[in-house]
Amino acid sequence: MNITHTILFSPVFLPLIAAAGILFIKSFCPTSIRRIAEYLGILIGMVLPLLLVLTLYPIVQNQGYIETTIGGYAKSIGIVYRFDGMSLLLILLAAAITLPSWIFSRKEGPGHSYFTALLLIQNSSIAAIGMTSDLFNLFVCLELMGVTAYVLIATGKKANAAYASFSYLMISSSAMVFFLLGTFGLYKITGSLSYEAIESGLETLSGRDQYVALFSLLLIIIPVLLRVAVMPLSLWLVDAHSKAPHAVSALLSGVLLKVPLFALLRVFALSPLASSLALPISYAGAATALIAVLLALSQSDAKQLLAYHSISQIGYIVSAWGLALHAGISTTTGSLLLAASFFHAFSHAQFKALLFLTIGKATDAANNRNVYTLRGANQALRNMGERVPLTMLCFLVGALSISALPPFNGFYSKTLVTYTLKGSLHYTFLSVASAGTVASFIKLSRIFLPSKHPMVFPLVKERKRFPVSSHLAFILLALSCLAVGLFSEQTILFITGLISPEEAQTYDSSFFFTQDNLIKTSITALAGLVLFGIAVSKPGKHVLHFLEKRRGGFTDLFLGFATALGALALFAW
Amino acid sequence: MKRTLFIIKLIFILLILALAIFPVILSSHSWPVVSRDYLYENALSDTGAVNTVSSIYLGYRAMDTLGETLVLLVSITGTMGILINLGRENEEEEAVSFSLAPEKRATNAQRTHLLEVVASKLGPVVLLFGFYVMLYGHISPGGGFQGGVIVASAIVFLALGTETQTKLTNTNVLGRIESLSFLVLIIAATSGVFFESGFFGNPIKSGSSLSANFIILLNIIIGLKVGTSIAVMCIAMMGGRRGH
Repeated sequence: MNITHTILFSPVFLPLIAAAGILFIKSFCPTSIRRIAEYLGILIGMVLPLLLVLTLYPIVQNQGYIETTIGGYAKSIGIVYRFDGMSLLLILLAAAITLPSWIFSRKEGPGHSYFTALLLIQNSSIAAIGMTSDLFNLFVCLELMGVTAYVLIATGKKANAAYASFSYLMISSSAMVFFLLGTFGLYKITGSLSYEAIESGLETLSGRDQYVALFSLLLIIIPVLLRVAVMPLSLWLVDAHSKAPHAVSALLSGVLLKVPLFALLRVFALSPLASSLALPISYAGAATALIAVLLALSQSDAKQLLAYHSISQIGYIVSAWGLALHAGISTTTGSLLLAASFFHAFSHAQFKALLFLTIGKATDAANNRNVYTLRGANQALRNMGERVPLTMLCFLVGALSISALPPFNGFYSKTLVTYTLKGSLHYTFLSVASAGTVASFIKLSRIFLPSKHPMVFPLVKERKRFPVSSHLAFILLALSCLAVGLFSEQTILFITGLISPEEAQTYDSSFFFTQDNLIKTSITALAGLVLFGIAVSKPGKHVLHFLEKRRGGFTDLFLGFATALGALALFAW
Repeated sequence: MKRTLFIIKLIFILLILALAIFPVILSSHSWPVVSRDYLYENALSDTGAVNTVSSIYLGYRAMDTLGETLVLLVSITGTMGILINLGRENEEEEAVSFSLAPEKRATNAQRTHLLEVVASKLGPVVLLFGFYVMLYGHISPGGGFQGGVIVASAIVFLALGTETQTKLTNTNVLGRIESLSFLVLIIAATSGVFFESGFFGNPIKSGSSLSANFIILLNIIIGLKVGTSIAVMCIAMMGGRRGH
């Protein structure tokens, strides 16, 4: 057991030590020490493992991966952990969003020590999901990540936060039962739980066992895709993301949607049976991008609008991801598609977290979440003690990023995704969806317009102080959006280098500012304006109002699950 | 109309799910034997546990056990959070809630002499049995989780059986034991890093007879952790003696 293996496990056990320490100090020490313990815990549990893991970067680049078993037991029976480029990227993604969200939560709620401990446990489970090479361990870590998510959603002060958490819990836990059944099926025919042994076991199968393998894989894939919220499986998302506290919403959209998707890559690599399922999933992703953006355009609640956008952007990510698997991850097209998919996931995490935090702060200040009636949100913020309109500026950074305008990260990631998809049906779907994104963000930005009737606020004697921590979180996220945009080439090279080092050498970034692409960007922006015009016209409003009422009930969650399972099974048959 | 639609949906869901799991459940493939034979030969020497089940869940797959313990910790934290929030919530807000209205939550409403006598006499015996299951987990069936749950039920018996509060039914004390045992569990899990056996490795792997100590230690900590946290939750649900 050498030092490399200890470093490898540090993102799993350091956050746990920190969480245990915080809980211990909470029940034994006075309040003043608790505060210090939380800061120390974040430092030890989140920043330190990140620095340690980055030291593994050269090893990953040279060898591809590092493999070890927990406790040093034999590989055939112990839990195998494999650290590769994707694990490193997922740990980075989790830390990049969790830190600003945590900073925001200090003053805007729920900033108590339990919350910090939960965040740390969640980060530890994310790191484990990224590294594990064992099917049952994946199940346990997904459950752990899920359970922290349910609890974090339920901390919301909004009425129905408990209900949103409960429906997510119900559908997600029921789905995980099927995951367990799938694990059982694969264990029965291969006699092992680690990916490597399952892979070699599946190669020698014949006859009826092929069907068992196929259906077991289906039962594993669909529950994980439920966490990712691809279209028929996405009904739980809107309530959960809009009712949660703002910091948690940022985390849910930014990190928790993407981690299972990229962990699934290893499951898909198990058998050629699985990779044949990737194509229909990518089509589902493209359809998701388009349908969800229309639903987003029809929402009147600001946070629900953002939640639908999360589904839509996940559609982009999933369609590139599915095509990457279809082409094969080790091929040139495949690795570029996968890099594009992760790059968009990363930038989406940044700008969506920024949007959730700024919109959450602004709607809280104005005490109104309706996009149609809320105007002059900036005035409300100033009344809360904000001198420089940083919230509005940071919101604009986020809005421009998600609308894919240069020089922000969204422009580069979306262009990379659509460029790699060029020539397929997905391309058309995603281009239309981009116009819809622009339109709905014009709609959302109107809340910062000065209102016609100046709002009357009760005079407050003492000047309120605007929390510095909120501004710090906004600025961190906005700057990272800008930085990833400005250094896009380095970022893409970094991601491609981790996914497949050979491809990084042949990468060429000349397509971003070609004439075609710039024309396409401006056409998309114009089409967005036109679409916005249609949306505010009378017939448009009618249609949108009709769409807004299309919400599923509790049974429909399960209906979506069954439909997805049935459709994919039919395709595989 | 709505009802028929609901029933049609339900039948559709059940049908699809059944069709999808049938091939997996009904497969006639013979059971794999590789792991069984491996465990039969090596489990005792690898982990020191006579009980092979213990050698799996505290040896080979201790990480999964830690994960399940964390799931329990997080879900109990969430439950306590919801219970405390609901206790504070004012009645004017008609939020969807999962607990009884405050006036229906009286602690002693269903307390009878019969219950008190039986529960208070049964409590210590069950407590002892819980610790037995916990401590002998490496030899006989049982272990930390099972023993912990029995300990929790004993604490609930004691809480039901006595009017006055004892140290054992005080949620503050129980909470302290819980957080302490969680910290010790994590430290025990990571201690292998400093003893050359790695994360979740057995740190006391010197002699051949000594190595079961690590399993016993983990069983005790997990048992305390599970027992106290479930007991805290049950006492809070019974009406919360936190303030007394």
